[in-house]
Amino acid sequence: MYELKLVCLNTIFYLSFIAFSMISIPLFVLFITSLSLFVSKRLVMKKFRRAISWYGAIIIRLFPFPFIRILFKDYEKKPLKGPFLFVCNHRSASDAFLMSCIPYECVQVVNIWPFRIPVLGILARLSGYLNINKMPFEKFSQRACELLKQGVSIIAFPEGTRSGNGNMGPFHGSIFRVGLMSRCPIVPICISGNEKIPRRGSLLLRPGKIKVHKLPALQWKEYKYLNPFTLKNKVRNIIAGELTVMEAQG
Amino acid sequence: MTKQEIITKVNEVFEESFEIEKEKLQPQMNIFEDLGLDSLDIVDLVVALQEKFGIKIRDDERIRAIRSLGDIYQFTMTMQNKAK
Repeated sequence: MYELKLVCLNTIFYLSFIAFSMISIPLFVLFITSLSLFVSKRLVMKKFRRAISWYGAIIIRLFPFPFIRILFKDYEKKPLKGPFLFVCNHRSASDAFLMSCIPYECVQVVNIWPFRIPVLGILARLSGYLNINKMPFEKFSQRACELLKQGVSIIAFPEGTRSGNGNMGPFHGSIFRVGLMSRCPIVPICISGNEKIPRRGSLLLRPGKIKVHKLPALQWKEYKYLNPFTLKNKVRNIIAGELTVMEAQG
Repeated sequence: MTKQEIITKVNEVFEESFEIEKEKLQPQMNIFEDLGLDSLDIVDLVVALQEKFGIKIRDDERIRAIRSLGDIYQFTMTMQNKAK
């Protein structure tokens, strides 16, 4: 029975993914190109990022359903005005798609490999995703601060690479230094349940339930007295604590 | 300055600048994997060590080879002796 589910899930998902991408991406590029003739670059970028978020949401929420279910929980009682620095644990390649749950205009801080994915890598580059491995910190922080000033939130995975085994790795401090510089609220995001969706080094999706928890924002006035090292560990401990609760709940 | 004094002062830097518990400050600890420092923290560490010991180490190439806390003790001792 489990094998049958596995075959159904992967067949439906990958066929839908390829067909949808082949149709939607050219349409999407055409729409954005036409739009750029009539409206400001800022508005085009906003629409562009919104479209990427929708694309991600369809891929991660619709195509694997009902074999994979996403449960999103926002701990913030009422929606706050952005921008934010979203800081997330990193277990799987699906994390990037799961960020479509976040209802803000965002760019992601990514490693080299997402830029190498055919077509999607080009879209990521065009939408202003930040390649942390190719930028010295000064350039990275300058670009990040510019985006925040424009009202664009930034999503970072400070472990730097997918942990794969569920154990959270040490955090890199760059995004926390940006927080201290920009005075932007930091929002911890916890993802649990997608260690095998897909497992590191594999494309095989396994049925399961993925939980995404958006924790309350840590305001600048709450963390301004901390140095980058202490701040990154504070946020890491918050995420680790929530993950323990999420995993205990099953 | 004796070896023990240098170790104590280096440990103070880790406690004051990075709020790392005393118990974790063992020579075999890897500063990246066990203590959680990253490349930018190393810049802060170098500045803090320079202030603590009154020595200039920023441009020293040997910093790149440092992996453990023991390496930092050794490196600081060498720099202290050189500064005499």
